[in-house]
Amino acid sequence: MANVKSKEQSSSPIGANLPRNDVYEKVTGIATFTDDIQFGGKLLYARVKRSPYPHALIKKVDVSKARAFPGVKAVIVGTDFPNKIGLYLKDKNILAIDRVRFIGEPVAAVAAVSNEIAMKALDLIDVEYEQLEPIFDPEYGASEKAPLIHPKLGEYSWPNFIFPKPGTNIANHFKIQKGDVEAAWPKCAHIVEKTFRIPHIQHVPIETHVAVALQDEKGKITLWASSQSPFAQRALIAESLGISPTDIRVIAPFVGGGFGSKAGVTMEAIPVALATKCKGYPVKLLLTREEEFYTNFVRQGLVIHVKVGCDKDGKLLALKNLMYWDGGGSTEYGVNVTRAGGYSSSGPYDIPNVRTDSICVYTNHPIGGAYRGFGMSELHTGLDQAMDELAEAVGIDKPTFLKMNGVKEGETLDTGMKMHANGLTQCIDNVAKAIHWDEPKTPSSPNKLRGRGIAIAWKAPAMPPNAGSSAWVELAEDGHVTVGVGGQEIGQGTFTVMAQMAAAALGVPYEHVRIAGPVDTQYSPYEWQTVASRLTWSMGNAIRAAALDARKQILDIVAEAWHEKPEDLDIVNGVVVSYKSENETSLKNIAIYGMPKENDQGWIGGPIIGRGTFMPTYVTGLDPETGQGTRSVVHYTVGCEGLDIEIDKDTGKITVLNAAASFDVGHAINPTLVKAQIEGGFVQGLSSAMFEEIKLKQGVMTNPSFVDYRIATAPDVDFPLETPYVEVPQDDGPWGARGIGEHPMVPTIAALGNAIYDATKIRLPGPPYSAEKIYLALLDKGIVE
Amino acid sequence: MALQQITITVNDLVEVVDVPHNMTLLQMLREKLSLTGTKNGCTAGECGACTVLMNGEPVNSCMVLAAECDGAKITTVEGLARDGKLSKVQEAIIKTGGVQCGFCTPGMLISATALLDRNPHPTEQEIRQAIVGNLCRCTGYVRIVEAIKEAAKA
Amino acid sequence: MINPHPGLPELQYFRPGTLAEASKFLAEHEDTSRPFSGGTDCFVRLRDGILKLDYLVDVKGLKETHEFSFDAKKGLTIGAAITMNRIASNNDVVNHYPVLAEAAGSVASYQLRNRATVIGNICNASPAGDTIGACIVYDGVLNVHGISGFRQIPLNSFFLAPGKTVLKPGDVVVSISLPIPPDHSFGVYKKLGRNTIGDLSIVGVTVLGYPQKDSASGYGFRIALASVAPVPFEAHKAEAILAKSKISDEVIAEAAKSAMDEINPIDDVRGSARYRKYMVRNLTREAITEVWSSISK
Repeated sequence: MANVKSKEQSSSPIGANLPRNDVYEKVTGIATFTDDIQFGGKLLYARVKRSPYPHALIKKVDVSKARAFPGVKAVIVGTDFPNKIGLYLKDKNILAIDRVRFIGEPVAAVAAVSNEIAMKALDLIDVEYEQLEPIFDPEYGASEKAPLIHPKLGEYSWPNFIFPKPGTNIANHFKIQKGDVEAAWPKCAHIVEKTFRIPHIQHVPIETHVAVALQDEKGKITLWASSQSPFAQRALIAESLGISPTDIRVIAPFVGGGFGSKAGVTMEAIPVALATKCKGYPVKLLLTREEEFYTNFVRQGLVIHVKVGCDKDGKLLALKNLMYWDGGGSTEYGVNVTRAGGYSSSGPYDIPNVRTDSICVYTNHPIGGAYRGFGMSELHTGLDQAMDELAEAVGIDKPTFLKMNGVKEGETLDTGMKMHANGLTQCIDNVAKAIHWDEPKTPSSPNKLRGRGIAIAWKAPAMPPNAGSSAWVELAEDGHVTVGVGGQEIGQGTFTVMAQMAAAALGVPYEHVRIAGPVDTQYSPYEWQTVASRLTWSMGNAIRAAALDARKQILDIVAEAWHEKPEDLDIVNGVVVSYKSENETSLKNIAIYGMPKENDQGWIGGPIIGRGTFMPTYVTGLDPETGQGTRSVVHYTVGCEGLDIEIDKDTGKITVLNAAASFDVGHAINPTLVKAQIEGGFVQGLSSAMFEEIKLKQGVMTNPSFVDYRIATAPDVDFPLETPYVEVPQDDGPWGARGIGEHPMVPTIAALGNAIYDATKIRLPGPPYSAEKIYLALLDKGIVE
Repeated sequence: MALQQITITVNDLVEVVDVPHNMTLLQMLREKLSLTGTKNGCTAGECGACTVLMNGEPVNSCMVLAAECDGAKITTVEGLARDGKLSKVQEAIIKTGGVQCGFCTPGMLISATALLDRNPHPTEQEIRQAIVGNLCRCTGYVRIVEAIKEAAKA
Repeated sequence: MINPHPGLPELQYFRPGTLAEASKFLAEHEDTSRPFSGGTDCFVRLRDGILKLDYLVDVKGLKETHEFSFDAKKGLTIGAAITMNRIASNNDVVNHYPVLAEAAGSVASYQLRNRATVIGNICNASPAGDTIGACIVYDGVLNVHGISGFRQIPLNSFFLAPGKTVLKPGDVVVSISLPIPPDHSFGVYKKLGRNTIGDLSIVGVTVLGYPQKDSASGYGFRIALASVAPVPFEAHKAEAILAKSKISDEVIAEAAKSAMDEINPIDDVRGSARYRKYMVRNLTREAITEVWSSISK
């Protein structure tokens, strides 16, 4: 007999720290990443001929000697693939055709039987260039004096929410006009005006980009790629090649870190293009670490001019934000970073008057793409440090200033949207408490300076207004469940959390749920992309709907068989139970074959497959001049970070004593995974604050390897990091959940900059806040001699 | 290119392999023996994703020529579990949540295993120093360090 | 723009069994061969195309390169195949040549230190070489085998320019000999990198101090600086200041300032000349102070 109390007794997978369902493979080394797949003796190796100049016309490309070299199976050039490719603004070709726009841009590619032969073949390719004046500064690039990097900008295609200016280097100009800032300045008791320069950085996934493509004799293409976006890659590559999306199959195994670098289409198009010239041969392109650093995607640099003012009590009155994004040679993806940076340009502050100009500028620098935070880290680096000085000018305690001005439910945002319920105040209190904000700041020795810094942040999923998720839930004979997903496991724990959600919605143990991976566009349900911190919320909704659909089918069948009402039935731990009659039957008794009618009169039901979709349909357009609209985004995740640091007066080195990061996640489906994201994001943010910078000189990245592009290592982060999260439910999130993947990286630079200022009264113009910059600033200010 | 024949023991199995002279130990493991658990992250000895034990000591296998390895004894991540039973470090890293994308994990496990072999009760600082050559971008190292502490207690 | 190979370019591996064989081969393939032990420097350069070779000559097959011995009269001999980890943890090194142990232990990561060697560090002749300063202050002498047989080269005349030494075609540096250091000597290696540990040095300061009867101050100091000059640099003027006056905080500060003034570092991707100068001053002061407080007890 069923124990009808068993539902209460069995613990829900929601909110449980269940172990990851991909971890056994990963710790034993059997997890398959793209470079691990065995393709056999026909595998060809691709290498790319790249532009050595930041800006040049291509006069001639001669590949005849390369094509003739023994062991070379295919050589391609730009003119072989004339169509443009791109996610938002289609301004790129698979290989450059008549002009190169950044050092490292692909100009030709070779597929050969070995990497050694491919490298030798590259040397046999002759390219003749005519150098053009390059642009290395986005403000100059936006000016009328600058030569045009994309003279044919007007001929490209773009969606209706991007606003390029043909005849200029401006790829997008997003504007906000809320209230009247010029009328507000005279009313401000305090105004802070500052400029910050945030350098380019790179994602540094430990697994570099890799893709293998194979075209069969009938023309169907299979692409295996380390990818955050199998469906987008399918669509964009198909469009560029002029074929149907269903003639490309993208298979996406585990990803060794993405952080946005593996979103959209970058190098994946090259092996596909090569494969079309050597049908039947799989072609692999694995980027070297050096290529990963500067030839693919980076996070664009930003010059931000921020002016912010408040009344005598510290209440914000006006914000003017002028942002020039150094977009690089192609801004097909980066234009949306500009847009997102624009519509969220107020940060999580309630400000009645806002004027923002967020301008994406073509430069002859590496390509800015999607990077964890999607513009928010760069924005907050400037905005939150300006706010920090404003609070100081008013003379109020920073947590108080932040809470006073932090955006609350019902307040009108800079786009006219109303803010939803959120736990920002609680996050600020959590951080202030964790880093002992109010306690004395005693340096540990005479040659140290001590300071504390705090900063708040927000981000909304940056997506087109019709980004959808879909899922299916299928039962097998043993009552176990397979869940079909299109979203990728890139380390964040998607597969685990989706299994938890399917288990909870269906009523089966988590251990009985398997995710149908690897994602394969031939079989997997559609998912827009694994970006924007959207999967827990969006794909989670689809999975919950699919599981509930399956549940309804099961209960309808059993109800009919038992002559009961579905409302009186439930599924608990994989067993269908009746609260009325106390009947029960295991799912494995009905999952495939249905249930028999009485007296051998036939059968009820059959195989169970549930389906679900989710697409937010309520995001509206925004006025091109004012940025105002009913609903600019789906929702915001808000949060706060703080650091307690010491600075060594002899070297300028920072030691972090204590740190905290608190975010409102709506509902933590798996608390361990939530904390793991916050820890990882915080450290990546701290790394970008202390060490990271693509050092560009005349368009050349002078530090394209780990030797001189430094990231945080284990000894660098030897301090207590508290990660108390807050749960104010998301109204349309599964069990109230919203995303957290990107956010922990967003306020870190500002929080550290504020701590440095607190310790030294020095405000550096931009990260990384290296020991050298700090020491020389201390020297110049006379704090040390 | 000429080939060199080497006799090498990998995870307790003796292999006789013909390797091109320029092939690294990492390439040999992945391409000749299909042991793809050891990863390629930089081919420059910086990231540690390729870490294996060579004669009991952790090395970056991308910085070792296969041709040098005649007579060597190699342990890769595939050799850490014994008869299907996970090692202490493998179990600990599952328990503490120290695996996200999993790409740094094999190298990390090898470095951690070697650390605990030479220093069974390391301090936190010693743990962090032992894995300074294993870059991780996902975890912030927090739960990896916890895992090594946990394994040291076991 | 660099375009490194995905792996190593084509080359041949050769493992000679005798020094004679090794020198003959290297001399016959003058510009196309090079000896290696750990390979951690030359493999990277081969990938980058900075170094173009047809042959890599493995010195680990030569029994002389495995020598690692200490003699209470003759001192320490470290063969070319001895790794940084072994040097950093060896009791004789730790007890008698602590600066060398400290410097060897500061290099890169544990994995790299299982391959990298002090001889390789020296032959690579980067001004940033961490162990070179220690070998200089301990008056190291290189034992070299060439086509004419054995000879010795004192370390202070070995370096010509970054990456360039006085070695000739056919030469194999077999080992380094460090004489017994002065009685009651003590030394430290202060290394400043961008990360907490494991980085190349922005500056590196090696200081060795010891009682010296025939010096005015009663003490002698050796100060070697890394990453501040084209070759590893010994700050002789600073050493002289510490020899001629009774040692005090002021004299130490003066010596540190002299070290700062003696050097002419460059701006490079790791640090600016200005920062390097001040860091040399500050770290030299810190190092001398630490050494002084130990030897003056």
